Amino acid sequence: MGSTSEQYDALVSGGYEHGFVSEIDTEIIPPGLSEDVIRFISSRKAEPEWVLEYRLKAYRHWLTMTPPHWASVHYPPIDHDAISYFAAPRKKPTLNSLDEVDPELLATYEKLGIPLEEQKALAGVAVDAVFDSVSVATTFRENLAEAGVIFCSISEAAQDHPDLLREYLGSVVPHTDNYYAALNAAVFTDGTFVYIPKGVRCPMELSTYFRINAQNTGQFERTLIIAEEGSHVSYLEGCTAPMRDENQLHAAVVELVAMKDAQIKYSTVQNWYPGDANGKGGIYNFVTKRGDCRGDRSKISWTQVETGSAITWKYPSCLLRGDDSVGEFYSVAVTRGRQQADTGTKMIHIGRNTRSTIVSKGISAAQGKQAYRGLVRMAQRAENARNHTQCDSLLIGDRCAAHTYPYIEVKNPTAKVEHEATTSKIGDDQLFYCRSRGISEEDAVSLIVNGFCKEIFNELPMEFAVEAQKLLAISLEGAVG
Amino acid sequence: MNTAEQTSTDLRALVQAAGSEAAGALATPGWLTPVRERGARDVLTMPLPVRKDEAWRYTPVGFLERQSYRAPQVAAPGILVIADIQHLLRPDSVGPRLVFVNGYHAPALSAIGTLPDGVTLTTITQAPGQLPVGLRQQVERVAEHRHVFSALNSALVSDGALIHLAAGTILDSPIEILHIAVGTDEPGICHPRHAIVVDEGAQARVVERYCSVGDPVYFTNAVVDVHVAAGAGLVHERLQTESVGAQHLTELRVTLSENSFYRHVAAALGGEWSRTNLQVVFAGEGAEADLNGLMLAGDKQLNDVHLDIRHDVPRCTSREAFKGILDGRGRIVFDGRILVARDAQKTDAQLSNDNLMLSRSAEVDTKPQLEIYADDVKCSHGTTVGELDKDSLFYLRSRGIPESQAMRMLCQGFAGDVLDRLADQSLREIAQELLDKRLSTSGAALVEGESGDAS
Amino acid sequence: MLLSIKNLTAEVEGKPILQGVDLDVRPGEVHAIMGPNGSGKSTLAHVLAGRDGYDVTGGEVLFEGQDLIALEPEERASRGLFLAFQYPVELPGVNNTHFLKEALNAQRKSRGEPELDSVAFLKLVREKIKLVSMNPELLKRQVNTGFSGGEKKRNEILQMAVFEPKLAVLDETDSGLDIDALRTVSEGVNALRSPDRAVILVTHYQRLLDYIEPDFVHVLAGGRIVRSGDKTLAKELEEKGYGWLADEEAA
Repeated sequence: MGSTSEQYDALVSGGYEHGFVSEIDTEIIPPGLSEDVIRFISSRKAEPEWVLEYRLKAYRHWLTMTPPHWASVHYPPIDHDAISYFAAPRKKPTLNSLDEVDPELLATYEKLGIPLEEQKALAGVAVDAVFDSVSVATTFRENLAEAGVIFCSISEAAQDHPDLLREYLGSVVPHTDNYYAALNAAVFTDGTFVYIPKGVRCPMELSTYFRINAQNTGQFERTLIIAEEGSHVSYLEGCTAPMRDENQLHAAVVELVAMKDAQIKYSTVQNWYPGDANGKGGIYNFVTKRGDCRGDRSKISWTQVETGSAITWKYPSCLLRGDDSVGEFYSVAVTRGRQQADTGTKMIHIGRNTRSTIVSKGISAAQGKQAYRGLVRMAQRAENARNHTQCDSLLIGDRCAAHTYPYIEVKNPTAKVEHEATTSKIGDDQLFYCRSRGISEEDAVSLIVNGFCKEIFNELPMEFAVEAQKLLAISLEGAVG
Repeated sequence: MNTAEQTSTDLRALVQAAGSEAAGALATPGWLTPVRERGARDVLTMPLPVRKDEAWRYTPVGFLERQSYRAPQVAAPGILVIADIQHLLRPDSVGPRLVFVNGYHAPALSAIGTLPDGVTLTTITQAPGQLPVGLRQQVERVAEHRHVFSALNSALVSDGALIHLAAGTILDSPIEILHIAVGTDEPGICHPRHAIVVDEGAQARVVERYCSVGDPVYFTNAVVDVHVAAGAGLVHERLQTESVGAQHLTELRVTLSENSFYRHVAAALGGEWSRTNLQVVFAGEGAEADLNGLMLAGDKQLNDVHLDIRHDVPRCTSREAFKGILDGRGRIVFDGRILVARDAQKTDAQLSNDNLMLSRSAEVDTKPQLEIYADDVKCSHGTTVGELDKDSLFYLRSRGIPESQAMRMLCQGFAGDVLDRLADQSLREIAQELLDKRLSTSGAALVEGESGDAS
Repeated sequence: MLLSIKNLTAEVEGKPILQGVDLDVRPGEVHAIMGPNGSGKSTLAHVLAGRDGYDVTGGEVLFEGQDLIALEPEERASRGLFLAFQYPVELPGVNNTHFLKEALNAQRKSRGEPELDSVAFLKLVREKIKLVSMNPELLKRQVNTGFSGGEKKRNEILQMAVFEPKLAVLDETDSGLDIDALRTVSEGVNALRSPDRAVILVTHYQRLLDYIEPDFVHVLAGGRIVRSGDKTLAKELEEKGYGWLADEEAA
């Protein structure tokens, strides 16, 4: 047991240099994956039989698949046998006070304007009685329950709403979809389940609650949001505070289902720890996110602001099945240092009169590398479908790179596709113009970059838009040499 | 053995057969030997492209599995006489003309006349012992093969035009390279290989045409190397009007030196499977490339253009404007890759791909790509896919023009942007006529389709 | 003395353009600098504003008694120097009002003055727009993006009104303008004339000076001021052309 607990400690505690108090569940399993491990996970969570079956089916399929390879993203192969797939309910190691937290981290929290108590929660400092996170959470749940909104973890949903879960889990991203979706379906640790009943506009943005528990994001998260006819919901994932995680591999799956006249807005603001100056220790973020516009006139919007992350591979997509359904994708990605981002979206037009809008803004600085990879597919039956895509890259400095790989496949002549991409840099004359008006060079960069990203920020829920702007400013600090 | 392997083996068999016969059959210039050897080696090791290969994702080569080809080993003299090809010749034909029949030079059909000083126009089979330096450097270069087809061309090259303009030579009249395919007992495959070298400050215009007599089934696997030296200019026009059952592949590699100019105007209208890989490498600053193309994919035609534009040095400009018209079950594949290297500052690259779909069963797969490693550049690309404007159609009809004709007129207008850039009226007319013909046959289908489609 | 230029020499990309310029400007004065193309007029304007690539190789420039050349462009702006660009730069996505507020507050902060909040700022900018008779629509748009030539120049004058500089250098403000636009822009400039403010008009044509009457006219040729006079000098130039001066010099 001795060596295993050391391994476990190493896994759990990497990143925190100073002494800490840890409360670690004594049940540990050795690294590696097998049917036994999956049964163990399932029994620990006391899952119904069908969930176990689902996991096993996915695992068996995963064994037949090979990991994908993307030409423009470089990373060392992931050794699945070296990862431990079950860590007992993760209690982050707690520190005794903010003094023990990395001062740089604190400085960032300050710049982002995060309130002190939240800083403590985020940094893993034991939260004192004044800020009762549990009672805050309880109030939110009460508001939601009144409206009939179900908002709980996947594990709870398996117990309390098994029929709903069973009907929709895996219906948008089947376990056969791709390598990491299969892995996720086999070993998903937990995640979020949201159900909005007919005609209900979710009374609050499902963000605030989530923020408090943001630090508990696991490696293999699963999110499922179901919006019934005529309902609306806005869900916010992520955190502007730098997310450190000792787990390198994140393979999440997000499924959204929008019925007739329903609208789901899914926003992500992520600031992953990018690794050290050589890119070591950064997080590999492989996510499969898909929205199914099942009903007529349904709408799904993906908005994301991403900075950091050693490697991001995610393509939020929309299946536009319902007639008159709408898919949107708004994204700002900032890469710096040795970060690599390969991201984009897929809009699959199937129904009639469907519309999709893609606005992707990439900002590369220093040696950051960005690739936009998008697919717009108009099926044969997609009468009158419309797509407008705008991909713009802003390059800062001469060592960075921006790539655009749009795939456009059209099988219907009444469909209309418009795609434009531009590349620019922050011009010397633009900088001089601002400076000659009294604005410092750094502020000028900020002004221009914000102008560049404006369309995207306008899509974010307000509080996040403000934070996102700050995040952008910090990410680009010192970028213009 | 699966069919892809079988086909690979067939291709290799061709190479091996050629190897043993070649020595006696054909006068192969010594300078071609290293090229041939490299080609033969690569054919024996390179696999056929499959769907998983990004560059061939939308362009299957299944046709190779449906029939096997014979590479004609020698030119068949007298197979065609001038009278047979009169209808193909341009009425206002001025300038030298080299005619190739099934891949081999047909001197009886060519018309070279007296060439001005500084102009060298010859063929591989008839090349003189001493080639001009600039030309020799190009043809002796053993380039890497990006796929098995160009390796095949290197290994089995039948014949090809060698064109050279010495420094400062300005040739006003166009040089025409006319390929004519004639049916033989079995489907033939030919490997024309041309080299066009324009030395410092020289200027020329070259017109390449691919057509046929009768409607034979064959595969033209061409490689064209173009080198434009400092301050020189080349206008390169290509009209591909192969027969309906033919396949056509051109690997066109262009290198531009400093302050040079290259204009490319191509119309690919024929063949059931047609692909052009156009690579332009900017090797010197201040060069400019103006690339224009029209692709027609009528019923059951596949038309593919893959661009590889390499801005390797600063201050170069490229304009790529490609248009596609689709009908019936036609398919167009477009891949416009622009690569801007790290220090290629002040690059100016603009690409557009516009596609017009006339039917419900057609398909467009377009991928304009940008890979940019420098920051002080101006790069943009735009793509559109759509159908004929209903208001415009109605306007023409309200003036008494029948629907199918109105549709053709609008298509001509769409194609006009590209065809108008052809310098000769005669070429424009040839292209427009064929476009018209192809559209009329399917135009009827469109009209039926529309009225029959109640939903 | 607001601005004192002594024996200023400057190069652009290694090429010497200004060959010893002397100029004194006091508050309240309007100076016109005219000259043939290539004489160095725009260079002078850019040297005063501190543009990279314009290198001072000798002489001095004092602004309110302090060395101007040693200051960064932002600092010069805070101290009250304003350059109206000949080709105003576009800033896509950046709202015009927001830009003005950011710039004004940056300047105020630098001077130790309190910054204006949105309400106070909006009030100020509306007043200024009226003062220079410009279209309030300009406030809603993005900085110079999609603006016509005249609108761009008008936007520069609006900025001048908001920043209230001590010295405004207008670089070929009349270029590319039709009569109506010229009139509007000139009215704006005239509305901003005050005993505390000096204006330097850099122009090739005399036409602008019919609308904005200068106190002094200088002719810049070959990188030097070769002639100074009052507004009648401008008239003479218009009649006789720049060649006349060269002939006179020779004589």
